[in-house]
Amino acid sequence: METRYLIVGGSAAGMAAAHTIRKKDKTGAITVLSDEDTLPYFRPMVPYILTGKKQVPDIALSGTGIFVQPRIDVRTGTIVTSVDPVAKILTTASGKTWSYDKVLFATGSRPYLPETVKGLDSPGVFSLKTVADAAAMAQRSRNTDHVVLLGGGILNLKAAFALLEKKIKVTLVVHSPEVLSQLMDPEDAFLIRKALDRAGLKIMTGCSADHVVTDADGVCAVALDNGTQIPCRMVCVGKGVIPNTECVRGSAITVDKGILADPFTACSVKDTFAAGDVAVTHDPATGEKTVTALWTNAVDMGICAGLNMAGIPTRYTGTLGIMNATQVAKEPFVAMGRVHTKGRDLETHIDKTDTTYRKIVFNKEGTRLVGALFIGDITHAGMYRYVIREKKPIDRIKSHLIRHTLHYGHFM
Amino acid sequence: MSNYKEIFVKTDKCTGCLTCKIACAVEHSETKSLFSAIRESPRPVSRVYVEWLPGNAKVPVLCRHCEEAPCLNACISGAISRSDTNAVITDAGKCIGCWTCVMVCPYGVIGRDQTLAKAFRCDRCPDREIPACVGACPTQALVYETVDGFSKTKRKTVSRELLTREGA
Amino acid sequence: MTSETPFQHLTTDPAVQQMLAKAKENHISTVWDRYEQMLPQCGFGETGLCCRHCLQGPCRINPFDPGAETGICGANADVMVARGLDRAIAAGTAAHSGHAKHLAHTLLKMARGQAKDYKITDPVKLKKVAARLHIAVDGRADTDIALDVAKAALADFHEKDTPVLWAAGVVTPGRVEVLSKLGLVPKGIDHEVAEIMHRTLYGVDADPVNLLLGGLRCSVADLAGCYMGTDLADILFGTPTPLASQANLGTLKKESVNIALHGHNPVLSEIIVKVAGEMADEAVAAGADRINVVGICCTGNELMERHGIPSCTHSVSQEMALVTGAVDAMIVDYQCIMPSVASVAECMGTKVITTMDICKITGAEHIDVKEETAAENARQAILQAIAGFKKRKNKPTHIPALTNTVVAGFSTESIVAALSKLNAKDPLAPLADSIKSGNIKGVCLFAGCNNVKIPQDINYTKIAAKLLKENVLVVATGCGAGSLMRHDFMDPAKTRDLCGNGLFAVLNAIGEANGLGGPLPSVLHLGSCVDNSRAVEITVALANYLGVDINQMPVVASAPEPTSEKAVSIGTYAVAAGLPTHVGVMLPVMGSALVAKVLTQTVKDLTGGYFIVEPDPDKAADMLLQALNDRRKGLGLV
Repeated sequence: METRYLIVGGSAAGMAAAHTIRKKDKTGAITVLSDEDTLPYFRPMVPYILTGKKQVPDIALSGTGIFVQPRIDVRTGTIVTSVDPVAKILTTASGKTWSYDKVLFATGSRPYLPETVKGLDSPGVFSLKTVADAAAMAQRSRNTDHVVLLGGGILNLKAAFALLEKKIKVTLVVHSPEVLSQLMDPEDAFLIRKALDRAGLKIMTGCSADHVVTDADGVCAVALDNGTQIPCRMVCVGKGVIPNTECVRGSAITVDKGILADPFTACSVKDTFAAGDVAVTHDPATGEKTVTALWTNAVDMGICAGLNMAGIPTRYTGTLGIMNATQVAKEPFVAMGRVHTKGRDLETHIDKTDTTYRKIVFNKEGTRLVGALFIGDITHAGMYRYVIREKKPIDRIKSHLIRHTLHYGHFM
Repeated sequence: MSNYKEIFVKTDKCTGCLTCKIACAVEHSETKSLFSAIRESPRPVSRVYVEWLPGNAKVPVLCRHCEEAPCLNACISGAISRSDTNAVITDAGKCIGCWTCVMVCPYGVIGRDQTLAKAFRCDRCPDREIPACVGACPTQALVYETVDGFSKTKRKTVSRELLTREGA
Repeated sequence: MTSETPFQHLTTDPAVQQMLAKAKENHISTVWDRYEQMLPQCGFGETGLCCRHCLQGPCRINPFDPGAETGICGANADVMVARGLDRAIAAGTAAHSGHAKHLAHTLLKMARGQAKDYKITDPVKLKKVAARLHIAVDGRADTDIALDVAKAALADFHEKDTPVLWAAGVVTPGRVEVLSKLGLVPKGIDHEVAEIMHRTLYGVDADPVNLLLGGLRCSVADLAGCYMGTDLADILFGTPTPLASQANLGTLKKESVNIALHGHNPVLSEIIVKVAGEMADEAVAAGADRINVVGICCTGNELMERHGIPSCTHSVSQEMALVTGAVDAMIVDYQCIMPSVASVAECMGTKVITTMDICKITGAEHIDVKEETAAENARQAILQAIAGFKKRKNKPTHIPALTNTVVAGFSTESIVAALSKLNAKDPLAPLADSIKSGNIKGVCLFAGCNNVKIPQDINYTKIAAKLLKENVLVVATGCGAGSLMRHDFMDPAKTRDLCGNGLFAVLNAIGEANGLGGPLPSVLHLGSCVDNSRAVEITVALANYLGVDINQMPVVASAPEPTSEKAVSIGTYAVAAGLPTHVGVMLPVMGSALVAKVLTQTVKDLTGGYFIVEPDPDKAADMLLQALNDRRKGLGLV
């Protein structure tokens, strides 16, 4: 009997799982239900859709990297509303039901819109997450010369640069004392901040939006908690994401912030799995439960879930709660593991120059590498990630870790 | 087991002359000749690295084209793929310079072109029968072999050494 | 019939091709085998980006690594490359002038009566040189003059009140001015070599242009060394006059005691030739028909130009002489002697005999040759050869049946003498007029070596053939001469085919006027590598005659297959003298765009000379022709 695999969610985790299953199971039926109208694509590339540098087909998943397996049935525009994991039946918004042998919930996450800020439902308020968001923003941006972005995380920075490229003025309103507060301490970010300022971003830190002011055309200003108003025709919210758990709520599947997954990516009910942004997993650096929203983690976990679903028990090594590499304003940086050290009892080594900043973090005993932050020069970052993630003994390499002279030879 | 050839490193034979680095950069230049490549702008760069360990050991390091390649999984733009010859290659056209591959590579062998914002790494010289670094290595510290072939050679060497030792 | 051989990509000399087949058959490792084993060669060395001048090194600058732009001390690529080039020039200078110093000591000992085997062979040249040095000649005994000349020669090595006389006194007045203005007049030959060693030391000169100027000055000292070498050799052994001889491996004779004299200095080889002539009976007693002395490399050139001794082979093919199995002793002095000859000799059951304190080779026999006991030492060496013949005589030999006719022996003096048959009052007029009329478009000097990276002789023969057809007068020295002679360029019977009409007319007129019944050879053999001085002397004479400086003369130089650092220093002094100078092998300077530019462009504004680096012989020929045409245009000639 051929196994019927059902995957809810057509992004990183779902598609990675689908292609991994197909690699191991040549005959089973693999169906992916995606709530988006577009065939699966590389979500991190969405800012390029906003700038117009790339079109949707350019960023399609199918046929690239690991997404090269045949016979994966992707159903777009299919919103799953509920599940009976015991009867193994899914119901969609159109009322159609799907039965399955094994199911993966890779429903991802959606932008978090703080309820405290009134008016975020107004026309002209966006979050840059999907290609649909990008298209809508591009449309609205034609009549806008100023966009206010709420939040100073990576997604908003990317959105800000995409808008800058379209010659639109941007102002970031950041509640924290500095941008990228999720990825580093404020004092770590000075090189990036310098680069952002140089690039022409206006950044207001230490303040928040109180409400969005509207007129007949939607947004016309953002009122801040310090009493000032910034006129603008467009707002972009980037204040983190929340897992999409709606479809499993009320079922026997345990939800705690996200869907709980065991070390083998399995949920609390048999033949039910979870991966990606929606799944709660553990952080090998801290040992804590964690939910992340990173493409790379989602793919890794999706592959792991795919293997488990195909009957190859595979332990998921976990995700570093913080793990991100990117380049903003020509400044490359990588943050991994524990990088917030302010007020914490950790052994921290900071080395900075005009153009580089490196922070290496060990546990308080100094016996294990738990975090690393590189700005400006990210050479060999992957080796640090390896040491953090695999909890490698560091007695022989510690000085190299600190002095940034580590190379592969040291592992031989 | 893979029937594709791979670049193997015999660290005991490496003298640290860096000839591989020069050959690699020249092979990845426009003109493919040392004396003209040196004048190209941008300058071509090597994808081979030679590290040093105390005791004066020299360790050539280059992309392993891993079976389970973390970079291949991690790429957020679809730029990394596996070629017909089982090499993991970065398509510069698709690369957006996000450096996620750099962050996940445990070997530290993915280079960054900061100006073009493109990642690069060993591509096993698709236009050549033998990769440039292997062809250039004066001590055969770099060899191009199938996994099978390489372990066979290794076995032979070891058994020869054993025989000599027993004979002596 | 020409048959395809598998060795054409290594050498264009068919005799050498035959010997390569033989070497392969006998598992003899040759220079070509070792080259192949050496590949790939290190790119840092190739580009000059490797430095071993201090113990913190070795350092190399990876041209493709933007992060590593200097060595440990902070020297950048420009400095590293300039320092390296300077040291090559200093080495070349040390070698040529070492050769000259050896002759000066010989002259001194001769004049003091301590070297009875030597004498003044050309008193006319002695007086000419003495006059140039302002040494009194009237009414003085030759030996007294010789003593003063020898002392003046030795004095030119160290720093003293006057500049190096063999440099300042041998070029045009205009050139002296140019060199003085640039600070390029050497103070002492050894001084310049030492100063290069000093300024290229860890932590001294770090200005690449200053370093290159230092190198240029040292190269002028090299010219002095070469010039002195020629002068003193001519005084002691005679100034060459045209004579016929033969070249190539076919000059070895199965039935004779074959002695191959290899190296550079006539101080030893002259005596061997003389003593060998006296030992014919001993050779006959050993079963040989005679003693057959042949030359290799510049020793061959020195002996050929003065005595018509055949040249066996040259430079990169030196091992091939031994591969014939017919050489009974290879007697060497110094320079360009590949250490491998000792092992090839061992394979062939013959001997290499070293003779100089500074040049011993493991596996070779050493006979310490002193000027005081030269003939005795020579006899000892020849006895070894005869003994070698006895062992060898019944064994098979493989001597290629290939020889080339050579007419050699051209010196400034003999050329002027030949020209005077056309115009006794004004001997330079016929040559100057031919240049003006365009019968001769210009002059090209071929100098240098063979280089294993280039199919032997191909660059010489291709470039020379093209230039001759374009009516360029071609002169050659050293292994450049050796190369061209082994391809019939010095056979007067080939002059008609090789030369353009204008050039042929001139060469034929000179030949006829001198009773040769035909033309001069298409390429004039000026002697060994120190004898590049003869090319300078002729150019200077012509420039003075025309009332211009060397940098205006339609004269170019080419080292199309250089190997030795001596070729680097010669090339550099050609540039200092004001000549466009072609080099057919990449100099190790490409690691510095600045140094490469200074050598090929900027220096033109200083001395008028410049390097043309071009490995392709056809392109090189065109570039040399272009340079000659530019010069002609500058002189208002068509």
